[in-house]
Amino acid sequence: MRALTLTWEFPPRITGGLGMACYGMVKALLRLGVEVDLVIPADEEVYFALRREQDADSLPLVFADPTQQKRLGKKVTAKEMVSERIEFFDVYYTPAKKWLVEELVEYAPMDSSLEPLLSYLTDDHPLFRAVRAYTALAINIAKRLDFDIIHTHDWMTYIPGILIKGISGKPLVAHIHATEFDRAGGPGDRRIHDVEYIGMQSADRVLSVSDYTAKIILQRYKVAPEKIRIVHNAFTLQKAEKTKERMFREPLVVFLGRITLQKGPDYFLEVARRVLQEERNVRFVMGGRGDMEKKILYEAASLGQGTKFLFAGFLAREEVEQVLSAADIFVMPSVSEPFGITPLEAMSYGAVTIISKRSGVAEVVKHAYKVDYWDIEEMSSIILDLIRNPEKLREASRRSMEEVARLQWEEAAKKISNIYTELQEGR
Amino acid sequence: MLHLIFYFQVHQPYRLQPYRFIHIGKNHNYFDDELNRKIFEKVSDKCYIPANNLLWDLINQFAGRFKVSLSLTGTFVEQARQYRPDVLASFRRLAQQGGVEFLGETYYHSLACLFDENEFLEQVRMHSRLMEEEFGTRPVTFRNTELVYGDRISGLVSELPQFKLILTEGADKILNWRSPLYAYKSYSQRHLLLLKYYRLSDDIAFRFSDRAWTEYPLTAGKFVDWILKLPLVEKKKKNLYLNLFMDYETLGEHQWSETGIFEFIKHLPEYVLKRDFVSFSWPSEVMDSLNYEPEALSIPTPISWADTERDLSAWLSNSLQWNAVKTCYNILRRIKESERPDLLEVARKLSTSDISYYMCTKYFQDGDVHKYFSPYSSPEDIYIYYMNVLADVEKRLEDGI
Repeated sequence: MRALTLTWEFPPRITGGLGMACYGMVKALLRLGVEVDLVIPADEEVYFALRREQDADSLPLVFADPTQQKRLGKKVTAKEMVSERIEFFDVYYTPAKKWLVEELVEYAPMDSSLEPLLSYLTDDHPLFRAVRAYTALAINIAKRLDFDIIHTHDWMTYIPGILIKGISGKPLVAHIHATEFDRAGGPGDRRIHDVEYIGMQSADRVLSVSDYTAKIILQRYKVAPEKIRIVHNAFTLQKAEKTKERMFREPLVVFLGRITLQKGPDYFLEVARRVLQEERNVRFVMGGRGDMEKKILYEAASLGQGTKFLFAGFLAREEVEQVLSAADIFVMPSVSEPFGITPLEAMSYGAVTIISKRSGVAEVVKHAYKVDYWDIEEMSSIILDLIRNPEKLREASRRSMEEVARLQWEEAAKKISNIYTELQEGR
Repeated sequence: MLHLIFYFQVHQPYRLQPYRFIHIGKNHNYFDDELNRKIFEKVSDKCYIPANNLLWDLINQFAGRFKVSLSLTGTFVEQARQYRPDVLASFRRLAQQGGVEFLGETYYHSLACLFDENEFLEQVRMHSRLMEEEFGTRPVTFRNTELVYGDRISGLVSELPQFKLILTEGADKILNWRSPLYAYKSYSQRHLLLLKYYRLSDDIAFRFSDRAWTEYPLTAGKFVDWILKLPLVEKKKKNLYLNLFMDYETLGEHQWSETGIFEFIKHLPEYVLKRDFVSFSWPSEVMDSLNYEPEALSIPTPISWADTERDLSAWLSNSLQWNAVKTCYNILRRIKESERPDLLEVARKLSTSDISYYMCTKYFQDGDVHKYFSPYSSPEDIYIYYMNVLADVEKRLEDGI
């Protein structure tokens, strides 16, 4: 069984939870003997033939920050890691626009429902330009490969997924880690909704990371219920032994994530305000960037609480680990969170988590405080209770670590592998 | 007589590193030594060395009839010692020559006067000691950071009886119909006040190289013509004081040498000194030349020389600035209570007002000036770095490290 896996993120190219989820999932699939041909955005026509579990850790570091790589001239290093390289050229210089439109007509017999994709492939928004480049890359690679299943992760990979399905006739899986409803906290971008809708409609199976997201898929995208499968994310323990490295004497309460409406940073700030009114023995830190960053920064400063509320800015992978290892309490007050993998990571460092009920992760963990994202009062009183009862905090921390150690990807991978078989057998 | 009083501010702050949250507890190097050295080197070559040489030549050439006053901050002197001892030596040479009056101020170029009176007095005393050590002179004229002044500050300075005069801004809102050409007295009558003539000062400091300015190019001859046309000049009975206050870095740094700024200064004395009713003067000489009873000015709300508002808003207007500055003085107080001289020095360097100036978010035309002076990409970035640094200092204080 071989899956052609299209994803926008995979370590070391990573900006959010998607990359970590794909990583854990792919590793577990490899352990089950599923082979994965992985295509991530790249300036060179390159894919990764992953056959053994350790291959998932072998992506060259040149993918860490694609914007910093010179587009031409710098070849992918560590050739032995890239077992099958096809000829090298810069996708930005392919006449992708014209070619793709023809391709669409040729291979995806004109179903009127696919029509919007034509216009999005010629859209000049930078995001869509990136999608266009990725689409050209993925199709060129797919045409030369042999695979049984096309597995796409989130909307940016749906267009190539649909086209490759047209070319190869292989079954298409659309994996939903987040929808535009979650990201935008409102109606969102119509173009992205369209791509999501057409992607889900064209897919043979739609995988949802939570019951919560499955409801959205069912209600908002009108996907036929028999096509939907729920596959909860898990968490990959990178190191067996995680050490707690405190930064402050006071308990540290952490928010990590994009500072956008979806993640509820403003609720976190309100919670901090309430807690600090009653308790000095505590510190708050917010890590991440986003369009609400300035607003939150000025409001946090106006609390007039000195260094009690700090900002960590954008954090690289190992820096995230450093902050989590210093965290006593981790708060994820997301307004809408399809899954939300960071609380699991925080738990692995022994942080006690307070998570929004509107998240997929709330469906899989037991030892977390589950709250309504707007319930500032509840979150404040949980934090106050924990920091005033160190014994309770320690006990909760221990339980968190224990629980997350049990949450492994095996179960998810088994489900996915069964779905592949199901599709391969034409069921 | 009309006395031209030049005062140049000589200052370099300790700029911060991009100090991130994850550095807390791990890295105690808060200052960007590399950047500070680079800027100091650059400004030394463009301004301090050539400007000092020019002043020395002019003082020689006019046999002491050309006079200026300089105010050097402690953070400037420290960095000069570290990065460019030749610059410090060149200031010493000026001091020995005797044509320069050295003014008193806060060692750290801080706004301590607004937040911690004892700290303010200590920083001023530190600065006076430094001036005695380095230049063998004890200042009698006081200029507060950025010419910040108000009645309360005059009251505070009274506790240091060496100071007889204070320099500040000739802001319209305190002068109303009055002229900045007269000397004034503080509300308590304890200090003489000399007020910056901002229009003519800013013609040199800001507009000199502005090609869109209708008076461009400004020459020494033209400038002296304007001075001679100043209202009140013909009333020769009362001595008048034209106070031209600006950054020393105007010479060669804010206004590059190519703009002709050095030529301008070079030729100014000959145009001035050929008139028998115009001369150069030091601020401290006003005590002797004053031939009338000055009017007392009450200034309840502090003024400054910054921005169009001429108030404290360049340092203290948004929530970032208030939280940052208040936190710094809070930590300073705690450090003093716990006797940590190592941390005290760090916290005092962090009290330098430039840091909150970088956090200013007033845009319009002043935003450009703030941006010009700031080495950081945004006010928000420097706030984040600064608060992280303060958190680390606090942690060291609490942990006794």
